[in-house]
Amino acid sequence: MNFAQVLNGIALGSLLMILSSGLAMIYGLRGVTNFAHGALYMAGAYVAYSVSTHINFWAALIAAPVVLAVLGAVLELVFFRRMQHRNHIEVGLVTFGAAMVIERVIVLIWGERTLSVDAPSGLGGTTSILGTDYPTYRLLIIGIALALAIGLVQWIRRSDVGLHIRAASHDVETSGILGINVDRVSLIVVCLGAALAGLSGALAAPYVSVYPAMGISILITVLIVVVIGGAGSIGGAMVAGMALGIIQTLGSVWIPSLSVLVPYVALVVVLLWRPTGLAGKRV
Amino acid sequence: MNAPTKTTGPTAPTSDTPVVSPGARRLGLSRGLALRGVVIAAVVLAAGMAVPYIVLDRFYISMLFDGLVLALLALSVGFLARHLGLISLGHTAFYGGAAYLVGISVTQWGWSPLMAALTGLVGGTVLALVMALLVVRSSGMGFLMLTLALGQALYQLSIQRVAIPYTGAFDGLQISFDADATFLGLSVAQMMNGALFWPVVWTALVLSALGLWLVGRSRFGTVLEGIRENEERMRFSGFNTYWPRVLAFTISGAVASVGGVLFALNAAYVSPDVLSFLKAGDALIAAIVGGLGVLLGPILGALLYIVAQSQFNQSGNLYLYTGLALILVLMFLPGGILGSISSIRKRLARRSAKENSP
Repeated sequence: MNFAQVLNGIALGSLLMILSSGLAMIYGLRGVTNFAHGALYMAGAYVAYSVSTHINFWAALIAAPVVLAVLGAVLELVFFRRMQHRNHIEVGLVTFGAAMVIERVIVLIWGERTLSVDAPSGLGGTTSILGTDYPTYRLLIIGIALALAIGLVQWIRRSDVGLHIRAASHDVETSGILGINVDRVSLIVVCLGAALAGLSGALAAPYVSVYPAMGISILITVLIVVVIGGAGSIGGAMVAGMALGIIQTLGSVWIPSLSVLVPYVALVVVLLWRPTGLAGKRV
Repeated sequence: MNAPTKTTGPTAPTSDTPVVSPGARRLGLSRGLALRGVVIAAVVLAAGMAVPYIVLDRFYISMLFDGLVLALLALSVGFLARHLGLISLGHTAFYGGAAYLVGISVTQWGWSPLMAALTGLVGGTVLALVMALLVVRSSGMGFLMLTLALGQALYQLSIQRVAIPYTGAFDGLQISFDADATFLGLSVAQMMNGALFWPVVWTALVLSALGLWLVGRSRFGTVLEGIRENEERMRFSGFNTYWPRVLAFTISGAVASVGGVLFALNAAYVSPDVLSFLKAGDALIAAIVGGLGVLLGPILGALLYIVAQSQFNQSGNLYLYTGLALILVLMFLPGGILGSISSIRKRLARRSAKENSP
């Protein structure tokens, strides 16, 4: 094992961390597993592809989250808000249908080809860290993800909106009675969650290539991350995402043939040991 | 979401749980009702045998055949949803696992089709039992995600390089039966012909539906519904709630395995598709569109699904339309097609009753 592999694990963990924190937020607030999260991630990557070929990659990093936030607002207003009194499973299955529609629409727009996105100029090379040459772009992913994680946690802990999110995640009805505008909080959370999915898609575009099945393949890993972290716990999802990214990457070095099973094994072990996930019921 | 439930657990003694050994006591099934169900099933069974003589086109009969196989899978998913309120995305593991077991036992071990079919059925059921022990403690979204994850673990396993000698990974597994092999009197060529294999799959479907109906109407089914409505209260009332759920999951997995076995025998080819996320979605969507609350809903849904698939697949937009159908049904027709029909009928009956008794 070498140091570059550890960094690879952290880079993958960073993507999972951003993606799963958005999913966990939506789950915590609406009680709905957003099966469209993989499709949103995929949409982010395709938007980033178009913007970065026409303008540049930095614009794509802004555009993808913005476009996806709008898509998130649509999801919230059309499905989550209108169906909030329905069974959560039904709403979850609606997002399952939405995922199918979004993925097919993306293929109709961009085609079935695998597309590649170049890393921004100046970041295409390698940087030497502790004597190991490492692709600079992946360091950027790690940097952005860590900054985002710290920012998100501080925002949820310190700000008024963050307080409302924590309250509403704990008990929607009581927070509504106490005067919190749950619909507004939910709109913020779903938009933010979708924007985070878009951002991770955009960040992933130059790292892994952009292809139609990318949404489904990451969705399952992210669902596992959220369950391991403790459904609805943002901190738990971040920790579990990072840990799973590192373990999976290192596993692919040690036991290449079986490393894809690592998330599933981790899931079973964690659930036997702590059925409510690592973080339990904390937000 | 799901409160930490302390069920008695797998280590608890099972001797004090009369609900799991219904054979010891009365089944809680009125004889008249059971008899009526059996008679209806026998009539339907006999009537369905005529289908290959009516639908003569090779294309349409094999399409209907695929519909019945999907119906078995949808039926098993629907059973869990109806009686326990649990939505599973992991039944592909039993369906696909059984299909692969048939393939492996024929190609690797050179077994006869009948032995391979039994292996597939038993293997799929055992897999369901193992998964049940892990997942039935959770409920709602947790259950959905867990079954999805465990089902996908099997998919991942099937496409690994170490699995190539057994599963052929993405190339799939071609099942080459012995030339003179027979299954219930059918030769290999007859097995691969939807019209000639029809009686077997039709019998399997009708018997599975009858079996699930009888289970649902028995005392055991009532216990399951009690658990669905309020697991905690059932526990306080002295019922073991863990083993009934394990048993129900295993029964449902067995039905899915039957579907997988019949699929493998007919297609003589198994690819990782049978284990994929999309296959799990197909079955669930078919069940929801048809109606989860009604026994026959998933069967209707599966047949509709297969027809729609053959209509729309040429354009490649199949999943666009199924996604839209899923959204529309869930938003505007909760209860699916059959569920909505029966609720409309009830509403009409109530209205006419009101008019008649002013």
